[in-house]
Amino acid sequence: MSLLARIRRIPFWSWIWFILGALYFLLPLYATVNFSLRMERDVIGFKAYIRAFEDPEFLETFLYSNILALLTIIASIILIVPTAYWIRLRLPEARRIVEFITLLPFVVPAIILVFGLIRIYSSPIKIPFTDIRLLQPLTTFEVGTDILIVAGYVVLGLPYMYRSVDTGMRTVDVRTLTEAAQSLGASWFTIITRVILPNIRAALLSGALLTFAIVVGEVTLASFLGVPAFGPYLFLLGQHRAYEPAALSFASFLMTWLAMGLIQLFTGGQGQAAGTH
Amino acid sequence: MAQTALNPKVSLPVSDWKKWLGVFPFFLFAILFLVLPSLRLVIGSFTNNEGQFTFANLLQLFQEKSILDAYWLSIRISAATAIGGGIFGFLLAYSVTVGGLPKPLRSALITFSGVASNFAGVPLAFAFIATLGRTGFVTALIKNLFGVNLYQQTDFDLYSFWGLSLTYMYFQFPLMVLIMAPALDGLKQEWREAAENLGASTTQYWLRVAFPVLLPSILGSMILLFGNAFGAYATAYALTGGRLGIITIQIGAQIRGDVLHNPGLGYAMAMGMVVVMAISLMGYSWLQKRSERWLR
Amino acid sequence: MRTKNFAYYLIALFVIAATLLSACGGAAATEAPAAATEAPAMTEAPVAATEAPAVDPMADLIAAAQAEGMLSTIALPHDWCNYGEAIETFKAKYGLEVNELNPDAGSGDEVEAIKANKDNTGPQAPDVIDVGFAFGDSSKAEGLIQPYKVATWDSIPDDAKDAEGYWYGDYYGVLSFLVNTDVQPDVPQDWADLLDPKYNGQVALSGDPRTSNQAIQTVFASALANGGSLDDAQAGLDFFAEMNTAGNLVPLIANNGLVATGETAVRITWDYNALAAVDSFEGNPKAEVVVPATGRFAGVYVQAISAYAPHPNAAKLWMEFLYSDEGQTIWMKGYCHPIREADMRERGVIPADLLAKLPDVSGAVFPTLDQLNAAKELIVANWDSTVGADVQAAP
Repeated sequence: MSLLARIRRIPFWSWIWFILGALYFLLPLYATVNFSLRMERDVIGFKAYIRAFEDPEFLETFLYSNILALLTIIASIILIVPTAYWIRLRLPEARRIVEFITLLPFVVPAIILVFGLIRIYSSPIKIPFTDIRLLQPLTTFEVGTDILIVAGYVVLGLPYMYRSVDTGMRTVDVRTLTEAAQSLGASWFTIITRVILPNIRAALLSGALLTFAIVVGEVTLASFLGVPAFGPYLFLLGQHRAYEPAALSFASFLMTWLAMGLIQLFTGGQGQAAGTH
Repeated sequence: MAQTALNPKVSLPVSDWKKWLGVFPFFLFAILFLVLPSLRLVIGSFTNNEGQFTFANLLQLFQEKSILDAYWLSIRISAATAIGGGIFGFLLAYSVTVGGLPKPLRSALITFSGVASNFAGVPLAFAFIATLGRTGFVTALIKNLFGVNLYQQTDFDLYSFWGLSLTYMYFQFPLMVLIMAPALDGLKQEWREAAENLGASTTQYWLRVAFPVLLPSILGSMILLFGNAFGAYATAYALTGGRLGIITIQIGAQIRGDVLHNPGLGYAMAMGMVVVMAISLMGYSWLQKRSERWLR
Repeated sequence: MRTKNFAYYLIALFVIAATLLSACGGAAATEAPAAATEAPAMTEAPVAATEAPAVDPMADLIAAAQAEGMLSTIALPHDWCNYGEAIETFKAKYGLEVNELNPDAGSGDEVEAIKANKDNTGPQAPDVIDVGFAFGDSSKAEGLIQPYKVATWDSIPDDAKDAEGYWYGDYYGVLSFLVNTDVQPDVPQDWADLLDPKYNGQVALSGDPRTSNQAIQTVFASALANGGSLDDAQAGLDFFAEMNTAGNLVPLIANNGLVATGETAVRITWDYNALAAVDSFEGNPKAEVVVPATGRFAGVYVQAISAYAPHPNAAKLWMEFLYSDEGQTIWMKGYCHPIREADMRERGVIPADLLAKLPDVSGAVFPTLDQLNAAKELIVANWDSTVGADVQAAP
C-alpha cells in the first residue's frame, strides 16, 4: 500500500481527541508524582513512598477495601440488572420513579446517610409491635457492620451502576433476545443469566469499575462505621504531612488502576465494533 | 404469540399490581438503606434548633439571596461540566470505539477512566494546584516557553468558576467515556455500510442515523454528569476554600464544621437539592421520550 | 422452584462472603489484650494535687476498663498534638484496643456522632470527644456528655473547665505563621507585616472563616493586633479585607502540602501544627515558625466523655491517662501546651529539652466563651461582605 494511502487510513481526529485527553489527564498526575518524589531535598527519590509502604496496614486495608468492592459490585448487579430488565420489558411506568431513586444518592450527603444507617440499625431487628428479637443490632457485630457498609456502598454506586446497565440494555435489543429465548423455552432466570448478562458485559464492566473506584476511595461511611478500610487509613497516615499524601494518592491511583485491569481481564468485556467509521 | 406476551399495552392475564412485584426488591432495598436513613433530612428541615416544628427553614431558603445564589451557582457549574464533559467525553469514547484507535488504547482508557472517575477532593485539587496554580509547573512552563505570566498578564485564575469547572472535568470526562463506550459499541457496522450504499456522507450518517440512536444514551449520561457535579463538595472546598459558595458547601457549613450553626436550615437546603434533581429528571424524561420516538 | 433455590444460593453466598470479609477485617482490627494487669504505675511520681489518688480506685478502674476491652475515639489525627504516641502508649500500657473513628471529623461531626449513636453499643459510638471550646457548654446543655473529675482535677485552671466536671480543657495553642523560607526568606514577625507587598499571593488561612474554628479564631486574633480587642473582632475583618485588596490573601485552605509547593508560602495556623509541620518537612523545604509579636491568641480545646459511651470505664481511664503527667508530656512533645502546664512547670517535671523546643508565647490571651461566640457571629455573618471574596461572575 502506498504511503499516502496508509496515511489516509490513520484516524486523524481520533488521535487528536485521544492525545488531548491524555494530556489533560496525565499532566496533573505528573505534577503529583513530581512533587511526591522530591521529599528529600534536591534529590529525586522514593522516600515518601517507602514511608507510606512501611506500614503493614497499608496492604491489609487495601485488600479489605477490595473485597468490599467486589461484594458491592456483586450485590449491585444482583439488585439492578433484574430491575432494569423488568422496567424495560414489563413496567415502563416505573422508570421515572426508579430513575429518581437512583439519582437520590447524589443529593443525600454521605454523612447523613451514615448517621441515618447507624441510628436505624443500632436497634435490634424485631417483629413489629412485639418484643421478639429476630437479630441483634447490626452495628454490634462484625458481619452486621459489613452488611451495613456493603449496603451503603451499593446505595452510593446506585446512580452509576443503574445508568451503565440501562444504557447497556438499551444498546442491546433485549426485547428480541427475550422473545427468542422464550420461544426456546427458557425460564426468566436462564434468560437473565445466560442471555442478557453476557450481552451487556461491556456495560457491566463500566458499572463495576465505577463502583470499585467509589468503594476503594470512600472515607465517610467507612470511618464512621468503624471498618478497617483503605480510605480512612490513607487519611490517618498523613493528611497533615506534605509529601506522603501525594505519594499515597498516586500509589493508590496506580494500584486501583491495576486492580481494574485485572477485572477487565477476567470479564473480557470488550466492545464489538472496533472498525473505522 | 410471544410478542403479545411482552407488549405491555395488550391486557395481560397477570393483573396490574403483580407487575410491580418485579421491582419490589429494588424498592425494598431503597427504602431500607436509602429512604429511611435519609428521613432525617425531611424531618430535620422542619425542625429548628430547639427541636420544635417550624417552617422557618424552608422559608429562609427563598428569603436569603445567598442561598438562592448558591443554588444557581451549583446549577450553572453542574450544567457547564455536564455539557462540556459530555461533549469531550463523547469524543474520547468515540475515538477508542468507532474511531478506530488500537485496542490496547481502549483498555487503557477504560480502566483509567474507572480510576479517574473517583479522583476528587483534596488529591485532585492538589494535583491541579501543582499544575496550574501560581507555583504550578505548567504555569512555570508557559512562563519559560512563551514569556507569559498567567496570573499577572491574563485573566486566568484556577481559583474561579472556570478553574473549578476545569478541575471537575477530571471526573466528568471519564464518567461519560465509561457510559458511552458500550453505547457506541452498539452502532452496527452494517448501518454505516447501508448508509454509504445509499449515498450518505459521513455527516449525514451521523446526523440521521448515529446520533438519533445514541441520543437517549447521551441524555442519560448527561443527567448523570449533572447529578455528579451537583452533589460534589470536597473538590470545590479544597480548591476554592469555600469561596465559591456552591450549595453543597453551604449545607456542609450548616451541618458540619467546628462552628455551631443551624442544621435545620442545612437539611432544608438538602431538600431543595432533591427538588432540583427531580425537576432536572423531569426535563430529562421529557427529552428522553421525544428522542425514543425516533427509534420506533 | 428454581428461583427459590437460586435465592437460597445467593443468601448463602452472601453470608459466606461476609464472614470471609470479617475474618479478613478482623485480623486487621483486633489486638490481643495483654495478659497481665499493670499495677497503678499510671499516675506518676508525687502529685502535688490535694486529692491524692489512692492506689485502690485506680486499680479498680483499670480492671473495669480492661473488662470492657475497647475505647472508641474520634477525630484524633496522629500528628495533631502527638495523639499518635498517646494512643500507642495507652494501648501498650493497659492492653486495650483503641477504635479510631473518623480522624477528619470536625467538632460538629463529633457531637452529631454521639447523637446518632445514642442506642448503639457497637464500636461506632464514640466514647470520648475532643472539641472546640464552645462545644463544651453546648454539649452539656444537650445532655450529650457525662461528668468525670480526673485525679489531677485541681491543677486544671478554673476558667478552662466546667465546675461540675462535664468538660475540661486539654491543651491550647497560639496562632502562628508557618513560613516556607525557600520560597519566602523574609519571615514576617507580626500581623502587620503580612500586609507588605512582598507577600503578594502568599498568605493563607487554614480553614474557611465561615465554618472552621481555626480560621475564625485567626480573624479574631488579627483584631488584637489591629486596634481591636477581645470584645470587638471587627478590626480583624477589616485587616483581612485590607489583605485581600492588597492581593496578599490566597483564597485556598492551606495545608502542609501546599506550603511545601510554595503555593501558600505563609500559612496561619496553631503553633503546634506549624512546629509539627516543620518536623515533618525534614528540611525540605526549609521552614520557620513565628509567633507574632503582638496579637497572641490562645485557643483551647476540651475533652468530654459521652453520656452514651458504651465503654465508660475505658473512657475514664483514658482521661486519667491524658491528664497524668505522662499524658500531658506526650502532648507537649507534639508542641501543644497542656492545660496543666503551669502546675507542671512549678513542680519541675517537664524535661528541659522539651521546654527548650516550645516557643515563647508569653502574653497570649484567652478569650472567654462569650467573647468567642460574639466574635464568631460577627465574623461568620460579615466575612463575605467585608472581605469581599467575590464569586466569579460566569456567563
